[in-house]
Amino acid sequence: MIFPPLQCARLLLLLLLLFAAFRPAGSAAADAGTPELSGFATLGAVTTDRRDMWFTRSGVNYPGGGDPDFSPDSLLGLQASLRLMADNDITLQALSREDGTNSYDPRVTLAFFRQTLAPGLSARVGRVRAPFFMLSDSLHVNYANPWVRPPVEVYGLNPFTDLDGIDFIYHARIGALDAEIHPYYGHSAISFPQGKARLDATWGLNLVLTRGGFSLHLGHADARFRVKYRDPQHVALAAGLAAIGLGSVASDLSGDDGRTSFDSVGVQWDDSRWQVIGEYVRRRADRYVTSSSAWYLSVGRRFGAFTPYVSLARQILDEPVARATIPASMAGLEAGWKAYLASRNNAQRSLTAGGRWDLSPTAALKAEFTHARLDRDAWGSYFPRDKAQLAPIEGNTANTLSLSLDLTF
Amino acid sequence: MRPISSGILVAVALALLSPLAAAQILIVTSARGAIGELSRQQAEQLYLGRTRSLPDGTPVALADLPGGRVRDRFYEQLTGKNPSQIRAYWSRMVFTGRALPPQQAENVRELGARLMANPNLIGYLPAADADPRMKVLLELP
Repeated sequence: MIFPPLQCARLLLLLLLLFAAFRPAGSAAADAGTPELSGFATLGAVTTDRRDMWFTRSGVNYPGGGDPDFSPDSLLGLQASLRLMADNDITLQALSREDGTNSYDPRVTLAFFRQTLAPGLSARVGRVRAPFFMLSDSLHVNYANPWVRPPVEVYGLNPFTDLDGIDFIYHARIGALDAEIHPYYGHSAISFPQGKARLDATWGLNLVLTRGGFSLHLGHADARFRVKYRDPQHVALAAGLAAIGLGSVASDLSGDDGRTSFDSVGVQWDDSRWQVIGEYVRRRADRYVTSSSAWYLSVGRRFGAFTPYVSLARQILDEPVARATIPASMAGLEAGWKAYLASRNNAQRSLTAGGRWDLSPTAALKAEFTHARLDRDAWGSYFPRDKAQLAPIEGNTANTLSLSLDLTF
Repeated sequence: MRPISSGILVAVALALLSPLAAAQILIVTSARGAIGELSRQQAEQLYLGRTRSLPDGTPVALADLPGGRVRDRFYEQLTGKNPSQIRAYWSRMVFTGRALPPQQAENVRELGARLMANPNLIGYLPAADADPRMKVLLELP
């Protein structure tokens, strides 16, 4: 469903009014029995120097929509938490942002009941954040990130953000070391321009070790995986493959029978002045999507309220979606096959320089400039502006400027 | 002679401007409350939202003072995080539902009233503002 901008604005206004109407005055907010209301928002604009491609966040926003494009980063989130008794509470969060189907319909991003089971151990049941990355916790809360957005090379590799299921969080103190053990189980679904995808029977385990300003994150997850493509490119290609007896290849492009795993390793160092963040992730899938790995390394330095930063990022294709040997006589199908694989491959490298300015305790202004080079067989984090355009975007370079204002309230 | 970097000048200016004898900060609870003892490490775990109870299972509620110097110094001394780090940290904790934020007291006087009303609540204030109805659990630094 496509919302015209006016309707989006009206929807956001309605959310804000509801929020204002139900927000209790001042001091009563935290008392038991009264919901605590809070929120976060980002107004972000993105422009690139290429006239033939849009910057897009794979599985997060719908490509295009204007130049500058407000859709990759802008969002509004509202949250209500209610303490029930001393050892349990419920939390609800709704988020409005453009999704992969070009809709701003608010969706529920958190809805869980939490019970403290023992000192340091709690369980949550319902919809929680899918913790596939080191910074999954702040995926929507851009205020908590140093950058305009987490590097797309890494964070684009797994666009599932919600997990419907159960998780346990256990904190143990071992000398000066704080250990967090976080097992989880559940399922998750998303939509994107070409179709939709689902993770089922996802189980995973995260371990975070923190000592002073240093933190190490280790994560692993396994899931059953379904993808349904419905875009014309897919439909035409699948028919073409089936027509020459390659139906088995077509069944590796879309279906209900995939397995996938995801690993992440990350480190953070923050001594109040320097902020160093690095993360490596690896996605393995037996069909439907690429097997890819990615990393970034970012260094920032605080000068009072101003924090400039530089980051390097890279996504590498390890294994394409599928392999097919197409007869030399079928040049059209061969070209279609190559174009298809490129459109499903986000491999690219980038260098970003930017700055964060803390305007107030609840607002930050950020600007960043990214120079990206797409791999020769990949669309990277970009999308052709005109779907019928003849010149492919593979292998292009792009300079992208992003501005954002992040708020919490 | 090398020119003095502007960073050093700023640091010197800040050191001169901040009062050297900054008042001590106390972590307190109600004198008739449920909390007997609190180690520095437990206080840090609580104010970083990593736990919500003491090792013996006693639930602990937290109170914050409004944003300002006392609050900034409290977090800096207890957790080693500067104001922007702690704001980013807590926004991450709250908006992923990891932890509920501390209750926000309007001022030190109102904090006192909250402590008297809730036997499981702890808070912090400058040493000069403590009164006999409160029990001192920890002194910072």
